[in-house]
Amino acid sequence: MKGAKKEGGFSKGRVWLVVSVFVLLFSAVLYKAFSLQVLDQRGLKKMALNQHNKTLNVQSKRGAIYDRNLKELAVSIEVDSVYAEPSKMDAPKAAVRSLSRILSVDNRELEKRLGSSRNFVWLKRQVDLKEEERQKVTGIEGVGVRKESRRYYPNKQLASNLIGFTGVDANGLEGVELYYDGLLKGSSTRITGEKDALGRTLIFEDSGKKVPIGGMEVELTIDKTIQYHAERSLKKAIESSGAKGGTAVVMNPATGEVLAMASLPTFDPNDIKGYAPRQWKNKPIADTFEPGSVLKLFLISAAIEENAISPGELFFCENGKYKVADRTFHDIKGYGWLSAVQIIKYSSNIGSAKIGERLGKARLYRYLKSFGFGEKTGIDLPGETAGAFRHFKGWSGVTLQTVSFGQGISVTAIQLASALSTVANGGFLMKPYVVKAVRDLGGNAVNETNPVIVRRVISEKTAKRMTEMLIGVTETGGTGTRAKIDGFEVAGKTGTAQKADLKNGGYHESAYTATFMGFVPARSPKLAIVVVLDEPKGEHHGGVVSAPAFKEIAQASLAYMGIFPDLPGGAVNPAVKAGSESGTKAGVVASELESVLPEKGVPDFTGKTVRNVIKIAKEKSLDVNVTGSGKAVLQKPGPGKAVPADGRVAVWFQ
Amino acid sequence: MIDRRLLTHFDWMLFCVTAALCVVGLAAVYSAIYVKSPAIYKKEIYWLLIGLSLMLTAVFINYSLLERFAYVIYGASILSLVAVFAIGRSASGAKRWISLGFFTIQPSEFAKLALIVVLARYFSARNMPERGMGLKDLAIPALFLLVPFLMIAKQPDLGTGIILCMIFGSMALIVKIRFRVIAGLVVAFAVAAPFAWKALKAYQKARLMSFLDPAMDIRGTGYHIMQSKIAIGSGGMFGKGFTKGTQGKLMFLPEHHTDFIFSAFAEEWGAIGSLVVISLFLGLVLGGLSASNTSKDRFGFLLSFGITAMIFWHVTINMGMVSGLLPVVGVPLPLISYGGSFLITTMIAVGLLINIRMRRFMF
Repeated sequence: MKGAKKEGGFSKGRVWLVVSVFVLLFSAVLYKAFSLQVLDQRGLKKMALNQHNKTLNVQSKRGAIYDRNLKELAVSIEVDSVYAEPSKMDAPKAAVRSLSRILSVDNRELEKRLGSSRNFVWLKRQVDLKEEERQKVTGIEGVGVRKESRRYYPNKQLASNLIGFTGVDANGLEGVELYYDGLLKGSSTRITGEKDALGRTLIFEDSGKKVPIGGMEVELTIDKTIQYHAERSLKKAIESSGAKGGTAVVMNPATGEVLAMASLPTFDPNDIKGYAPRQWKNKPIADTFEPGSVLKLFLISAAIEENAISPGELFFCENGKYKVADRTFHDIKGYGWLSAVQIIKYSSNIGSAKIGERLGKARLYRYLKSFGFGEKTGIDLPGETAGAFRHFKGWSGVTLQTVSFGQGISVTAIQLASALSTVANGGFLMKPYVVKAVRDLGGNAVNETNPVIVRRVISEKTAKRMTEMLIGVTETGGTGTRAKIDGFEVAGKTGTAQKADLKNGGYHESAYTATFMGFVPARSPKLAIVVVLDEPKGEHHGGVVSAPAFKEIAQASLAYMGIFPDLPGGAVNPAVKAGSESGTKAGVVASELESVLPEKGVPDFTGKTVRNVIKIAKEKSLDVNVTGSGKAVLQKPGPGKAVPADGRVAVWFQ
Repeated sequence: MIDRRLLTHFDWMLFCVTAALCVVGLAAVYSAIYVKSPAIYKKEIYWLLIGLSLMLTAVFINYSLLERFAYVIYGASILSLVAVFAIGRSASGAKRWISLGFFTIQPSEFAKLALIVVLARYFSARNMPERGMGLKDLAIPALFLLVPFLMIAKQPDLGTGIILCMIFGSMALIVKIRFRVIAGLVVAFAVAAPFAWKALKAYQKARLMSFLDPAMDIRGTGYHIMQSKIAIGSGGMFGKGFTKGTQGKLMFLPEHHTDFIFSAFAEEWGAIGSLVVISLFLGLVLGGLSASNTSKDRFGFLLSFGITAMIFWHVTINMGMVSGLLPVVGVPLPLISYGGSFLITTMIAVGLLINIRMRRFMF
């Protein structure tokens, strides 16, 4: 047996040589594997991860935007998007037939998409599928439905310039959507999935998925109905005046809450591509203009506050021509001697210039600054501009006079609204705001905006005197009679300004900014409204073209808010309006009005109807016990007596 | 025929190592394939069962029968290769398979075994010169190589062709070749290499180029090697775990159930798993060499040596290729790569090793 080892020249001893060669080569392979797996593993592991790891940003549902009464202004809805993976389809022709019917997409279009060499094609995005349609679609091999979130603005263009819109990735791009993007968006989670060599994503079940926190809901100060009225009336005014555009701001003067902010032209945020970027602009905060005569009311306020003019003092208005340095100022009509009240009422430029001279550069500048001009109001919206208002040291020879009647200074509508509110609320400059509260999905307020007093600008007394003067503007003989509302006193001011020619310097011959601003009811203001029309054609006086829009907005809003005139065609009893709903500023307004009350304690109901009694009682927070019908004949406690602790008042009617 | 004495000499070590490798192979194929086409690993089980029965047959017939029918076997093998040209089935640009209804076979795999048998017969039948074979002595054996080699190269199947050459070279060297001849062949190869380069197909050239610098073109020809290295390396010391591999399943690693199965295996089982598999192969090869060394006759010696060489070169070239030591040539890993014909060939071959070892005392 062993003899076989040396047979026919075979050396079996060579086998050992072979063994060592084999072992050597195996060792080389082993070493190579070892060096890859142990020595180079870190780098190679990283390469592997880079190849197949894919991180997806899963964004939580974007929070909704509501108006102050929780009516939806912007919502995120889940919609179906139908896709196909052509390589997985077994019967594309049959699929095309049934899909084109369900998705209402052209046969040829579908065939083209399914013929694509890509692994994934969208067939139709954001469709509304019925349950049985969805089942039919997903039943087709290689076709599926994905849920996509889409931002939807149910009111279309309503308040769109204010609300803004989102981009494809549900990022806020304009307006409230942008300013509050961080809160609306909620959190996002990165989910690590795996993709294969063809780039298809496979998310494995065990990759610990965390459901991201949903976006917060934002509650605006905007009232959808008032916004609607503001937009409608503004549109009407623009159409009838032929203006290029316009803005309207409605503010609660006591708090600085913006109730409506209209900007025209506007757009439908559901279809932003159909509109030019200039239509997205939120003009009330972004557009500046020379205010013209509306600024006079702040001039006079300053003059009264500073006692620069005495009550009843008359100013000579040069019969309509007043030369200062190289300029001659004009009034529409030649006036002789006018009081401050008349200067406001007739909007005399020359009178204003003279009061400005009396006040002096420094004080005029200080007061206008104090009213908020030349500075951003700090409203919670993106893109606010400050307007141009040069320091008085840089004023030229006639700037003092021109600024006095609103030239040589540019402002925004929101600045006018908050400065006007200062006069309306008794002297406090309020910071305007559009978001009332931010709530999490549980409805808990994460962030509630309280009214912020920026500063006291003028005293209550001055404010009251100003209000009296502004009421004169809308009364017979004033420039703003078209703003007069039956049954209410309206405090307002007109403004008509030539537009500055930014290209050639100086002013345009026939381009005007027509403004009307005012508050109502004048002695217990609920609404401060600014209406600005940009370049009305033909008739361009604020008192003519803008005042009617103001009136419409104010009238509709007052009716909507349940504020009715008390005495048909007559003066309102201010006491009735005292109970303001608003927070900190309510006290200011109320206390101001308290001082003018002719009576304290229980009002005199004698001779009033049941309806009127109930209304008055409600406004005074009294609990009325009604007996009988007709007109009030007896009440307990009697008129002028102290209000009982429980607020109960008994009234008998006959 | 089956003697009880034979069973006492049954080489359990060889059998167990083979069985272990088959189990590893089945697991690796399952893990590589179950996501994409779960039906395939069931087929692998059928192949294993067929292989096992043929292996046992190969154990228990007397291998001297092979010696007697060596030329018949060789002739049948050549015929089957001819049949590939006639009725063969193509897949991805190569014509290598014959369909037998339920399954397809790859005659080139069996040709390896046929070449070993015919060379063992030829070399053992003659008294070789003491100082080694000259060119004349090598002429006929070279013809035995050349006929199947050319047919297989034509399919084309470079990997199998190379294996045939390695088998021939190993067997001729163990028989002993004159030093002058070896030197002459080396020189001739060096001279012929540039011409051979021209004869290579474009994809074959690209593979060789990318072997030299795989990072040159990760997305193109270097893709295989780079992906294979990434898979092996990302397994690290302990691996990602059974069926937890990503590179193969996510289709970054091509051929991850056939030629590149070791990469997919190493990704899941890490350096420890690689060590175990390489050790098993070393055990198989050493067991084969031990069968040679103790064989009772020259035919048995050459047959077992040829078989061992075949297994060895398969393992070395395959692992060298997947780890980036060698260029990519399509050589499967014995008993582990998916593929019925080669699995059966290898199992028959191991059966023959056991056979030869078992009969070392039988005359």
